[in-house]
Amino acid sequence: MTMTTDVRQAVTARGLTKVYGQGDAAVHALRGIEVGFATGAFTAIMGPSGSGKSTLMHCLAGLDTVSGGEIHIGDVEITKLTDKQLTLLRRERIGFVFQAFNLLPTLTAEQNIRLPLEIAGRQADQVLFDRVIDTVGLGDRLGHRPTQLSGGQQQRVAVARALISKPQVIFADEPTGNLDSRSGAEVLSFLRRSVRELGQTIVMVTHDPVAASYADRVIFLRDGLLVNELHQPTAQTVLDTLLKLEA
Amino acid sequence: MFKTTLAGLLAHKLRLLLTSLAITLGVGFIAGTFVLTDTINAGFAQKFTADAAKISVAVLSKGEDHKVAAAELEKVRAVKGVAEAQGIVSGTAALIGKNGKVAGDFPTAGISIPEGALNRTLITKGAAPKSAAEAVLDENTAKTRGFTVGDTITVLDSASAKQRFTLVGLFDVGVNQELAYTGAVGFTTDTARRMTGEKSFKEIDVLAADGVSPTDLRASVAAALGSAYEVKTGEKLAHDLAAANNMDTQFLTMGLLMFGMIAMFVAALVIYNTFNILVAQRAREMALLRCIGATKKQIFGSIVLESGVVGVISSVLGLLIGLGLGAGAMAVLGALDAPVPVGVGVSLTTRTILVGLVTGIVVTVAAALLPARAATRVAPIAALRSQVEESTVRTGVVRAVFGALFLLAGTGATVAGVSMEPGQSALVVVMASGAIFFLGVLVLGPLIIRPLGAFVGWVPAKIFGVPGRLAVTNSRRNPKRAATTTVALTIGVTLMTLISVITATTRETAGERLDKQFPVDYMIATQQRDSTIPRTLASDLRARPELASVVAIREAEAKVNGRRAEVGTFTADPAFTLTATKGSVKDLGPGTAGVSDGFAKNENVKVGDTVKVAGRDFRVVALLSDDTAPVYGVTIPERDFDSAFPKVADKQLLVNAKDGVTADRSRQIVEAAAQPYPTVLVASSREVRGAFDDALDQILMIITGLLGLAILISLLGIANTLSLSVHERTRESALLRALGLTRPQLRRMLSIEALVLGLIGALVGVALGVSFGWAATQTMMDDITFRAPVGQILSFVALSGLAGVVAAVLPARRAARASIVGSLASS
Ligand SMILES: Nc1ncnc2c1ncn2[C@@H]1O[C@H](COP(=O)(O)OP(=O)(O)OP(=O)(O)O)[C@@H](O)[C@H]1O
Ligand SMILES: [Mg+2]
Repeated sequence: MTMTTDVRQAVTARGLTKVYGQGDAAVHALRGIEVGFATGAFTAIMGPSGSGKSTLMHCLAGLDTVSGGEIHIGDVEITKLTDKQLTLLRRERIGFVFQAFNLLPTLTAEQNIRLPLEIAGRQADQVLFDRVIDTVGLGDRLGHRPTQLSGGQQQRVAVARALISKPQVIFADEPTGNLDSRSGAEVLSFLRRSVRELGQTIVMVTHDPVAASYADRVIFLRDGLLVNELHQPTAQTVLDTLLKLEA
Repeated sequence: MFKTTLAGLLAHKLRLLLTSLAITLGVGFIAGTFVLTDTINAGFAQKFTADAAKISVAVLSKGEDHKVAAAELEKVRAVKGVAEAQGIVSGTAALIGKNGKVAGDFPTAGISIPEGALNRTLITKGAAPKSAAEAVLDENTAKTRGFTVGDTITVLDSASAKQRFTLVGLFDVGVNQELAYTGAVGFTTDTARRMTGEKSFKEIDVLAADGVSPTDLRASVAAALGSAYEVKTGEKLAHDLAAANNMDTQFLTMGLLMFGMIAMFVAALVIYNTFNILVAQRAREMALLRCIGATKKQIFGSIVLESGVVGVISSVLGLLIGLGLGAGAMAVLGALDAPVPVGVGVSLTTRTILVGLVTGIVVTVAAALLPARAATRVAPIAALRSQVEESTVRTGVVRAVFGALFLLAGTGATVAGVSMEPGQSALVVVMASGAIFFLGVLVLGPLIIRPLGAFVGWVPAKIFGVPGRLAVTNSRRNPKRAATTTVALTIGVTLMTLISVITATTRETAGERLDKQFPVDYMIATQQRDSTIPRTLASDLRARPELASVVAIREAEAKVNGRRAEVGTFTADPAFTLTATKGSVKDLGPGTAGVSDGFAKNENVKVGDTVKVAGRDFRVVALLSDDTAPVYGVTIPERDFDSAFPKVADKQLLVNAKDGVTADRSRQIVEAAAQPYPTVLVASSREVRGAFDDALDQILMIITGLLGLAILISLLGIANTLSLSVHERTRESALLRALGLTRPQLRRMLSIEALVLGLIGALVGVALGVSFGWAATQTMMDDITFRAPVGQILSFVALSGLAGVVAAVLPARRAARASIVGSLASS
């Protein structure tokens, strides 16, 4: 196996394993995952509950340590980094959108969006900022605090925040899990637009076949293993694959 | 319900401990106070009993003069059943130190050491004096003055003549406060009478013959002496002495308890805040309980029960700490050679246990009542809402109005107090208005915390970047919580500032007065109040070319307008000026008089009036300020004084050196001139000030130390609030970490939040302390020189900020250590 990383891959994982606990209580959440996420692509991760989706995402994003294998983000092998280096890497190269509680309640929408840049001590790219704000479609609500925004608006603010620092990859864990289908659709189209128009790389965990159909590619996990993948999915093909998996 | 509560408590042991600690410290201090004073009392009682066991009966005077006529001793000795009787002599007999001057600011006591069974003095080294040439010294004086057994010591007799003795032993003054203060020389009874000049005894101690009971003997002695004296059995004497001593320790108890109460009040605020936060954080839990059928009463009960458990645990711990504190304080006092009984067991009385437990439990439960009521207001529906956002204080018109009313009332009362005649009642008014004003601050706290946070946080937000800005926002996000947290600290800082302002002002004012009163390089006076300086000293000094001026002050008692009063005079000299409050001192020529303010007011004398002094009329030309007038009474010119009172010696000499003469040289000259007069002491103005400053510093230090407890408790409060907030914001912290905030940055963020809280508390405290310190000093004396010790006050502010940061260390570490993934998953 060659160690050189394909430049077109934003994120790659090799032989990735993750074990929680020890001895009898050990849970093998990931059992050796080989996967790559192409730059500028929108990838969805699917699988039954407990199959290891969140764990995989956390490991890929450097939020959690791995038990074995290696992960590259761009040309950096993150499995070798210290906590400090990982924090700096997250700051510079990774964006996040979580299922809920994405925003700091004390800050306004705009302050939340600018937060990663401020933490990193970087200047916002004003052109990008305007474009993101434009895309996020929140023009008049930027001065509001999260509690004054709807769930869908909050998630869009979270996506905007992830975009603003031009990360190498954005990880989203069920970003529409708490939304109704209309708000979910808004967020998903926003995600897809940012891939198309800004060339953003996005990896999204989801349970929803419709959400997955917005992606360019879907990978399927079961019991900690990568078991299937689909390109240019539709809601129907995703659903069929899922049903087959669970059978 | 009971089980749920206990399970909840056990699940959060650390939080329970932190919360308890506040009460524990308060109870510990209160219990410690009782343990200490009880132990001292018990020790005294034990000592008195042991002493009194040596005597069967004591004869004392009925009045305050402590005089039993010497002739009574023979009468007592003649009573049937008396085995032995001794008269106890106690007076003054000034010890001369190795420098040839009387030792100490006060003359040492001269006491008799009776021979035989009736001796109650503990000789620790050598032997008791047996002849007229022998004497003993108390251990402490011997140590400080450098005398050892075998030395020859010189003591002044009642006629101020030097007498020499061989030092044959040292003794322990035991628990006698007076002797401990002045030091004492012991002689045989006859020598003691001769040296002190006492014609009578302080007490006659009697030992019963075998087979005679003290009660019977008491009756027969009393019968022999008649009703002029009080005759007690030894047992009764011990009891009375112990009771009188208990009165003394009661002051100590009261003083210490006051600080204990302040600490408890601060602890109550901490408890109140903690329970408020807990209730807010558990709103969903409560709502869920309500959903499944718990009544409001049950919810209320569970919170009260929780506080009860906290109260019991912390009070019991507090008692243990109190026991340790009491024992520790005894050990410290013993080590400092304070006149307290040593080697007695620490005493823990039922009263101490009861007071400690009741205070601790009542304060804890009472502080939790309001939060418990708030818990009952949680609607069941709240269980279904997703996120309980923190309370935003409704701009609370009611709150603002009430707060403003309190502030107004407080300000009004302060103004009234300040404009009152200085004195106790004005001070009480100002203190009460301070309390009212403080209530206003307490009520308005949540409203002013945001602007204050913005103000205090301005610099940190600029310097510390994102963590700084987030910290400042966080410190302001829950105004109620922040206000209560900081107010606890405010109390301590207010009192500290108040005390330091008062001491600084006193120091400055007194310093100015000293300068006025004492515009000279040296002051020469005698150690004893009623003795004088031979006039030869003044004339010797005047002969020295190095000295610029020697002003003598003399005083005498005479009839003024038919009533006895003090009459004084001074050598006219440009170096000595009096301050006239009315009229002019320049007019003070032959046949005229100056009258001190206080005396003039009492006697209703005005400028232009005539006063009759020792049969002669004097026209009053000036009223003199009480600070600078030579006497509280009438001051007349030297010539007039000398003709009226020709034999009066000098009371005080004020000496100024010529310019250009070094301090060392002038001091040498003055001391050499004073050397032949052992009772005459020379003090430089610097020494007088230094002694005064030292005394003030000591008071300041003790009070600061005692207030430290309240401050410590308020810091626990900050730590507690912060750790609860950190817990509440677990997911927020995780989010920030995911977005790239490093661990040190997260820690820094929390430290800055604590810093801001600490600074707010300190600033409010400093503002209150300075204002009310000013008001308080206005009520203490006329024309004071106000002084706020800026350095000290700034250091309070800095230390409070720093202490806040220290309080944040643990919560911040915990927050930074949490795993991001775990925290994100937590709800
Ligand atoms: N902190 C943990 N300790 C122990 N086991 C864990 C931990 N986190 C996850 N697991 C286990 O690891 C496995 C994978 O969990 P993971 O959360 O990745 O699943 P998921 O695919 O995201 O499921 P879901 O769709 O329900 O979110 C599960 O069996 C889970 O029980
Ligand atoms: Mg998951």
